[in-house]
Amino acid sequence: MLALSRANIGDAARVWRRNFDVYIRLWRTEIIAPIIDPIFSVIGFGLGIGSLVAGNVTGIPFLTFIGAGVLAFASVLRAVFECAYGSYFRMVYQSTFDAILCTPVEAESLTLGEITWGMTKAFFDGVVVLAVLWAFGAVLSPWGLLAPVVLTVGAFWFSALAILITSRIHDINHYNIFFAFVFSYFWISGTFFPIETLPKYIQWLAWAIPITSAVDAARDLMAGRIGLRLLPGLLYLIASSLVLTELAMRSMRRRMVN
Amino acid sequence: MLTGQQKSHLAIEASQVVKSYGDLTAVDGISFNVGYGEAFGLLGPNGAGKSTLMRMIYCRSPLTSGTLRVVGHDVRDEARTIRGRVGIVPQENNLDPDITVRENLLVYARYFRIASREAEERADRLIGFVELEEKRDVRIDALSGGMKRRLMIARALINDPTILVLDEPTTGLDPHVRLAIWDKLRVLRQQGLTIILSTHYMDEAEKLCDRLMIMDHGHILVSGQPRQLIEEYALKTVLEVRGVAERELHAGGPGVIAERHGASHHYYAATVDQLAPLIREFETCETYLRPSNLEDVFMRLTDRERLT
Repeated sequence: MLALSRANIGDAARVWRRNFDVYIRLWRTEIIAPIIDPIFSVIGFGLGIGSLVAGNVTGIPFLTFIGAGVLAFASVLRAVFECAYGSYFRMVYQSTFDAILCTPVEAESLTLGEITWGMTKAFFDGVVVLAVLWAFGAVLSPWGLLAPVVLTVGAFWFSALAILITSRIHDINHYNIFFAFVFSYFWISGTFFPIETLPKYIQWLAWAIPITSAVDAARDLMAGRIGLRLLPGLLYLIASSLVLTELAMRSMRRRMVN
Repeated sequence: MLTGQQKSHLAIEASQVVKSYGDLTAVDGISFNVGYGEAFGLLGPNGAGKSTLMRMIYCRSPLTSGTLRVVGHDVRDEARTIRGRVGIVPQENNLDPDITVRENLLVYARYFRIASREAEERADRLIGFVELEEKRDVRIDALSGGMKRRLMIARALINDPTILVLDEPTTGLDPHVRLAIWDKLRVLRQQGLTIILSTHYMDEAEKLCDRLMIMDHGHILVSGQPRQLIEEYALKTVLEVRGVAERELHAGGPGVIAERHGASHHYYAATVDQLAPLIREFETCETYLRPSNLEDVFMRLTDRERLT
């Protein structure tokens, strides 16, 4: 039986809501971090490196190109942190998962609640960063408003992966290895430069990592380039996210119900 | 507190319950029943299988084999229903540190799908029951150990459970706090709640439980009413002789059970008269004559090798 079919949407929503309530309580600190970082990223990458780059990259202004990368990096990474350290804290140090699993909520619904919460944080941060980028003139089209949505799908993939890792580690330091891979993914997934500049075999690796499609789609939306070109990539992203979610749910049940 | 139709007249029916982790068998073929409204105690040394058995009751540990029915439902496929009718106080407090006392109850009520107005009423009533009115809006880190434990009990009652499961409810608390918690549990018992608790405190088990079960190595050693177990295994009176590691254990005489516990000798008898010769025998030693209690039963039955 699929673990996905054991997840109850209502229960997951209640797990999500607990995290949301705590977030609202801390909203001041939660909203400042996503503003400061992209401002300096855009100054550094856009104005600093941008002054060295002549004209357009892959047909769009460098500031828009790099802005999409900054947006993807900030928003997706927020989801990874939430479902790595955030979930680990709730699971191990605060025993929140233990408390929740003493109620009718099952491990699969708990997992789904945590993944969707990671996605939600990615979305919130995406919106804040997009506003900053808009102020810098990096958003060329109203379609850009959809960029945080596409990146939330990217965050789905990474949240599910992070929860899968969280359910398996017994020492918080082991995240260092995980994050080494996460940051490496970002360097080759077309976040900060076009992957066409990479050797062919690394390009294949880049496309195999589903996040590449999300970054690509966010960039096209910000530049106002709308087309069906990106659909297969996004379907691949969603399908692989569902597979990761299934694995994460199974693994979380093994960890918590034993 | 019994709600709806009871499928069975037993709150818990365990038959040949086994739980193994690889080569380790934590619970080894246990069978027992608990009736509705009973206060049932689980005793045994660390590692006896008490916590594992409790986790199986609230469906956090799947059975390796055997059958276990809780409030008439099978733990294998009706976990959700069972957890809706059971209140759980685990060994470790796991209150939510990010929110207040009252919010802890309200957030928890949501997991049971209790409508928010009903949840607020229950939360306020339970805060009153555990006497935390003044702490209602403070965060968890501002509570003392005893307050946290009381809040754990209040939280476990938010779904108006049929069974309350408590894993070592008063471990690590001072005597006043323990008395306060016992009072609360007595009130709940009088209201008809079924209570399952594990404890290392024999006085706690003796005072709170109608019936209890002593476990070791995943087996049931004995079960019954506390008084009955004491009379059967520790008779009526005991003479404790301390600091006699060097001396031979005295045979005791007719009707007397003699045992060595560490550096002490224990002589159990039905009457004080039977112990009179021993009192003279150990005149020069430190001796105590007292009524037998559950601790004597526990010490006699459980594996002493491991305890030392």
